[in-house]
Amino acid sequence: MPSTSNSATPAATNRTDPAADRVVALTLKIGAYLAFSLIAAGLVMQIWLPMGKRVASAGLLVLLFTPLVRIVVAGLQFAHERDWKYVVVSTVVLGVMVLAYALGIKV
Amino acid sequence: MSTVTILALLVVGFFTGGFGAVAGIGGGVIITPLLMMYFGLPMQQAIGVTLVAVIATSTATSSLFVERHVTDIRLGMTLEIATTVGAMIAALLAPHVDRRTLAVLFTVFLLYTAFSLVKKAWDTRKQKKHDEVADYTVHNYPIGMGASLIAGGMSGLLGIGGGPIKVPVMLLFMKVPLRVAAATSNFMIGVTAATSALIYWGRGDVNISVATPLVAGVFAGSLLGARLAPKVRPVYVLGLLIVLLSWLGIQMLARLLSGGIH
Repeated sequence: MPSTSNSATPAATNRTDPAADRVVALTLKIGAYLAFSLIAAGLVMQIWLPMGKRVASAGLLVLLFTPLVRIVVAGLQFAHERDWKYVVVSTVVLGVMVLAYALGIKV
Repeated sequence: MSTVTILALLVVGFFTGGFGAVAGIGGGVIITPLLMMYFGLPMQQAIGVTLVAVIATSTATSSLFVERHVTDIRLGMTLEIATTVGAMIAALLAPHVDRRTLAVLFTVFLLYTAFSLVKKAWDTRKQKKHDEVADYTVHNYPIGMGASLIAGGMSGLLGIGGGPIKVPVMLLFMKVPLRVAAATSNFMIGVTAATSALIYWGRGDVNISVATPLVAGVFAGSLLGARLAPKVRPVYVLGLLIVLLSWLGIQMLARLLSGGIH
């Protein structure tokens, strides 16, 4: 089907940024496999060693912080593309997450 | 914790992650009631653990969907402004909300999810396989932001991802194609759930002994499920999930009516 969108308005479809897709997918993949490996290793270690539980919790923390790293990576990629609007969007989302983290410690 | 419990959590995680990835749901609505009813976790802990499991599904599956270019990263991140604000506020309020009210809300959402899967199963019967997604322009950002705020709030309060709220709004009001809407919603869930999970974690409501085997199972299941998803006809998986969700909904209703949740 031929594209009906005007090429002068890149905002028309946001899904045409393979470079951003690549770095974001890579970040998520590294986070997922690192967290999974740590948790799986920790669970197995737990059978013999008490420190297995700490390895597994480290895996959970990697998992918890992967979305945060994903926002930073996407924000840097948008900056590289000089897409300032989405640099602002990434910064705001990161700000809310950091605020939640700060409030979470106090509560 | 006994070895049997650990194995049971691994299995629950594996099947929820796998079926969830094939059917396109995060599986939060399945995990919370199971943890409450069969693993004896208090509601706040069940929700805290579920949030971590939901991040696992989202991270594992969206790494593949983003790679296949079906996720609208920019749209997702814009809506994340609203989902994270909703999630943060709701996660802070959650311990002060009456547990019965939470359970009622949860049950309503559970049955609504079952209903949305019935609709999805019906639609996939007629639908032909299509790999290309047509070009589109995103409309109605304010409505999308409003729905995302609500979805984020539900996530922070109930531990769910909120896909069944966001996907129809993106589809009907924002005019985003279904596949893109589903992938984008899934992509947003990691950030949304992590925002509230950080608060639950800080409060000590993420039970690590329960979360680790569950998350290991979820990872394995959803990585496998997301790889199989393009090759499998989802109708049977959807059918199974509809039965499971209805059954869990009835169990939750029975507990609510008998005063088992207070």
